Amino acid sequence: MTEGQVTTIAFEQVEKGFDGRKVLDKVSFTVAQGEAICILGRSGTGKSVTLKLMIGLLQADNGKVLVTGEDMAALHEDGLVKVRRKMGYLFQSAALFDSFTVNENLALPLHRLDRNKSPEEIKRVVEETLGEVGLAKDGNKMPSALSGGMQKRAGLARALVLQPEILLVDEPASGLDRITASEIDDLLMKVKTERHTTMVIVTHDIHGARKIADKFAVLDQGRLLAFGTPEELDRRNDNWLQQFIAER
Amino acid sequence: MLKSLFDSIGQVALFGAKALRDAWVPPFECEYLLTQFYEIGVGSFFLVVASGLALGVVMTLHTRSTLVQFGATAEIPVFQSLAFFNEIGPLVAALLMAGRVGAGIGAQLANMRATEQIDAIETLSVDSFKLLVVTRVIACTVMLPLLTMFMDAAGIFGGFLSEHIWSHLSWTLYMQRAFDGVALADFLPPTLKTAVFGYLIAVISCFYGYNTNEGSDGVRKAATNSVVVSSLVVILADVILVKCIFFLFPDQAI
Repeated sequence: MTEGQVTTIAFEQVEKGFDGRKVLDKVSFTVAQGEAICILGRSGTGKSVTLKLMIGLLQADNGKVLVTGEDMAALHEDGLVKVRRKMGYLFQSAALFDSFTVNENLALPLHRLDRNKSPEEIKRVVEETLGEVGLAKDGNKMPSALSGGMQKRAGLARALVLQPEILLVDEPASGLDRITASEIDDLLMKVKTERHTTMVIVTHDIHGARKIADKFAVLDQGRLLAFGTPEELDRRNDNWLQQFIAER
Repeated sequence: MLKSLFDSIGQVALFGAKALRDAWVPPFECEYLLTQFYEIGVGSFFLVVASGLALGVVMTLHTRSTLVQFGATAEIPVFQSLAFFNEIGPLVAALLMAGRVGAGIGAQLANMRATEQIDAIETLSVDSFKLLVVTRVIACTVMLPLLTMFMDAAGIFGGFLSEHIWSHLSWTLYMQRAFDGVALADFLPPTLKTAVFGYLIAVISCFYGYNTNEGSDGVRKAATNSVVVSSLVVILADVILVKCIFFLFPDQAI
């Protein structure tokens, strides 16, 4: 992080375990405002757990997770709502509410959090956001009627509908063909450049990661093994690291 | 074993108390609540009415074969109405709701948990407990007494159909006999007790669905546990509530 940049997310010696198994072990890094970092690593190394700690779905066993300066573990319900209001989360499976239409999926947070908005305004925001991800004509469909790529787009639209400052993305390319995955990457790039959204992306897709990321964070067995710009990490003479960050 | 049983009871009790408390705290999720009223109430209507009608016919056939030996067939309508108002209507409607709605709630919430939909609700700064649990608890608590009234009506009508076919009893005479000597206390407390049944069914089903995290196996377990435990608890609660009704309305116990 260069001088003068504002820290949006900070992990300070974070530890997290499940059933006696340590998933994150003294992990520390920071994400600056407007920066995009990609978390890389093998499956089960705590990448998704890192995202869930950032949005407060999980609590760290030790250490601190700070988001916009707020300690996530110290926040009560109201404080958590305020911090989450600044964040969007795209789940690996998109996690659309299957009993709601795509429009209703997007309108849900608007209805709840922006009570001053009229139904017409909400409809307009939903249509605009769906238009941005190329789903303008699919708002009345149920999630089950959408393809995997369309579900990801709808999930991204829902994550963006509140205009978040921070976007957390879990495996945007998972289960998608290369072309569709590339389209999702392009959408994320668009969000980054047009909205200057701070992004944390968990991915196995190094091709997409190199397109979007300002920095890579590489996790292995719960430890942060490398953190830096792609160029910095490319220069490291470490075969193990190159397995993750070299384009195949 | 015993400790784990008491642990579970304590957890369900706290879960139910939280639902009761949160029901009075805004926002009230009215739109989603209406959907639940429709799904739980209207969705169960046909099952409850059809079951009530069939039970009404069968009950009359059984009581007729006994009462005919004593020349007391004229008492069939009042037996029918008292049986339905006091016990058959409330208990069968509750068991039907435990089967249809309880399994549905358990499976749906467990599936939402497994597919991260509940986490997604939380990330959108929406209280998933209020949206998913409190609305279902309110809907079951309100709809079960209404469904019970429809079951009672269908059962009495089924009894009339059976009697009309056997003895050509007129509608007016049947209804006159059915409600002769039936007091408000025969109808109101047993019907209102089903609000407790509805609350218990919803709390137990939501508890198993909302708290599971075991993928598809969790969905199976949640659906099964919701039906088995809520049916059992309804039957046990019925024993206690009937004793309470007898205590509050001593005439009922005679």
